[in-house]
Amino acid sequence: MPDWKKIVREKLGTLPLSNGRRDEVIEELAQQLESAYEEALGKGASEQEAMRRSLEQFKDWEKLRSEVFHSVEGARLPVWEQNGFFAPRRWPVWIALALTLSLLLAPAFRQALAILPVPGTDPTAWGSRIFSEKALHRIAQSVDQQKYARALAFVALHSPKEDDERAVRAGEKAIALDPRLTWIAAKICHATYSYPGYDSHPWIERLKAWDPQNGFPYLLEADANAHWWEPPWTKSSATPGGLGAALAAEPRWRIPMEKAFAAPRLDFYEAEHFALDRQVLREQGFDRPDILIAGMWSHPMPDFIAMNFYVDFQLNDVGEKAEKSGHADDALAAYQSVARFGERLENPSSYNLQLASAKYRMDAYKKMAPLLRREGRTQQSADIEASLASLQDPAKRHPYLLSYDVGDRSGRIVQLSGLFLYFLFGVTAAWLIALALLRWKPSLSAALNRMASVLCLAPVFLLLSSLALFLGYYPYARHIEQYASLQELQQGFLPFLMGVYGFPALDAFTEVYLMFWPSVWCALVALVGACSLWLMRRLARTGQSDAA
Amino acid sequence: MAPDRELKKGNAELLILALLEDQARHGYEIGKLIAERSEGVLRFHVASLYPLLYRLERRGWIRGEWEPAGGRRRRHYRLTQTGRKILAEQRARWRAFSGAVNRIVEAGAARRSALDSNMEAQHA
Repeated sequence: MPDWKKIVREKLGTLPLSNGRRDEVIEELAQQLESAYEEALGKGASEQEAMRRSLEQFKDWEKLRSEVFHSVEGARLPVWEQNGFFAPRRWPVWIALALTLSLLLAPAFRQALAILPVPGTDPTAWGSRIFSEKALHRIAQSVDQQKYARALAFVALHSPKEDDERAVRAGEKAIALDPRLTWIAAKICHATYSYPGYDSHPWIERLKAWDPQNGFPYLLEADANAHWWEPPWTKSSATPGGLGAALAAEPRWRIPMEKAFAAPRLDFYEAEHFALDRQVLREQGFDRPDILIAGMWSHPMPDFIAMNFYVDFQLNDVGEKAEKSGHADDALAAYQSVARFGERLENPSSYNLQLASAKYRMDAYKKMAPLLRREGRTQQSADIEASLASLQDPAKRHPYLLSYDVGDRSGRIVQLSGLFLYFLFGVTAAWLIALALLRWKPSLSAALNRMASVLCLAPVFLLLSSLALFLGYYPYARHIEQYASLQELQQGFLPFLMGVYGFPALDAFTEVYLMFWPSVWCALVALVGACSLWLMRRLARTGQSDAA
Repeated sequence: MAPDRELKKGNAELLILALLEDQARHGYEIGKLIAERSEGVLRFHVASLYPLLYRLERRGWIRGEWEPAGGRRRRHYRLTQTGRKILAEQRARWRAFSGAVNRIVEAGAARRSALDSNMEAQHA
């Protein structure tokens, strides 16, 4: 005869019933098994078969444990006494938690976590926070003065508008330490147009002296000399073409524009800016392609409207007038200056520059081709027409936009996984706190015990959401030093980043951070709703049972 | 035909209370009696029976006591005063419910039977 009590005791394990009820339950269940066993033997079954039939009555001992405890004590089995697969007494749930934590060892996972849009991590505002005065002072004390100069240049490039004064001081110091950083003057004079009492001209002159072949300082000078968006210039905009004509009549605007269009080079120092940002971020231990990309959005760009005014002036005033007066070579020279400027403006990492470049060239070529034909220069005219046709091919315009859909999809997956991850992280933390409290005092609270029992799956779902985030981000995970140029970064990362932030326009970046809290809010509302339904259902059941 | 699971679950308490009305019984006996008296239609999972007995005991509807039986001691359950009152209420409710269902189901069957008889008479 099997020792039924021993079998039941082993199967039930620790069952913390009060007042010796555990022994009574064991004895009673053992008698049930024994009776079934004897009945099976009485019907001619072998001992082995009788035992099998007897034990078959209780297939799920863990469920029986839980139900017996609940029935006897009127409360859920303490979470630390539960033996379910994901109960805290067993390994799987802790393995899930350990695996989630071990993902933190993977740089790709850390990078994915860092780029998630969480309030306070806005990469556009982040640039100015990297160096506090204290941090700068610490670097200043180090022997590496080049590093200090780079840090100062970074501050000059990324300080917000309200910190112009700090940016200017940092820029001065950076250039004094390393004159190769003089190009940051372009940002300083560009950023301080509306800074009261500040004159950007010395910075422009410094830039012109340092880089005399470049047309960019002249563009900046024209902008500094004539603020066409302010009075008295705005009066001229009342008539069509009035503003352009008024600007062209102003030598302080026209002459620098002429020099910019005639300059042999047009460099906006984008490559230098990108290299500096990448190096500084790397030196400071921030492996963040999103910050690198966002940092470039504050890069100084020429005034497109001012350039358009000058292009119109060259093509329609200078060129057409020369054509009408029979000076074909003068007209061609005017058109040619616009076309060459367009060529120099060509920049594969900037959509706006690329559009402007193509537009200027096309506008110029459209005027040049018929004039050359009329002048009998058919071969030159054919060449210009071929260039025009090539510019009109949309596939050559902006290659990274072609991969936009894939990146956007991946970005949204990462964003959603991240939302779940943050939510489940909170739930898991609450679960761990509840477990710790119940470990300290098992009878602390029935509600806490119920919560800890229900949330046992949270670490498993946390692992799943972490894996989803990791796998979704993995194809985009690269160290910032692996991006050789801004163009490469924009092609490889920008579509994904735009998907993460789920918005179509770069200038709406500040709105991105409004998305996080609404998402959290929706999740919270759904959770409260689900809990309320569950509670109502439970109360209704209890009411029915009590009435019965 | 096996009875609907929900119906069985809702009336499990009534079945147990009814079986304990006349005399005290132990768990094994209760399980056997439900199967026997329902002629095998109702069969209680033992894993559900004991938690239910403990729940009824906690509510004070039944009382369990160890008593000698067949050379060993067994835990016998008997109805308490509260249990008797609950049984009376549940039985009345069940009778009202099953009576109403019967009246609908059997009335349909009676009409069908009368129709069949008429048709047979016409054919004859």
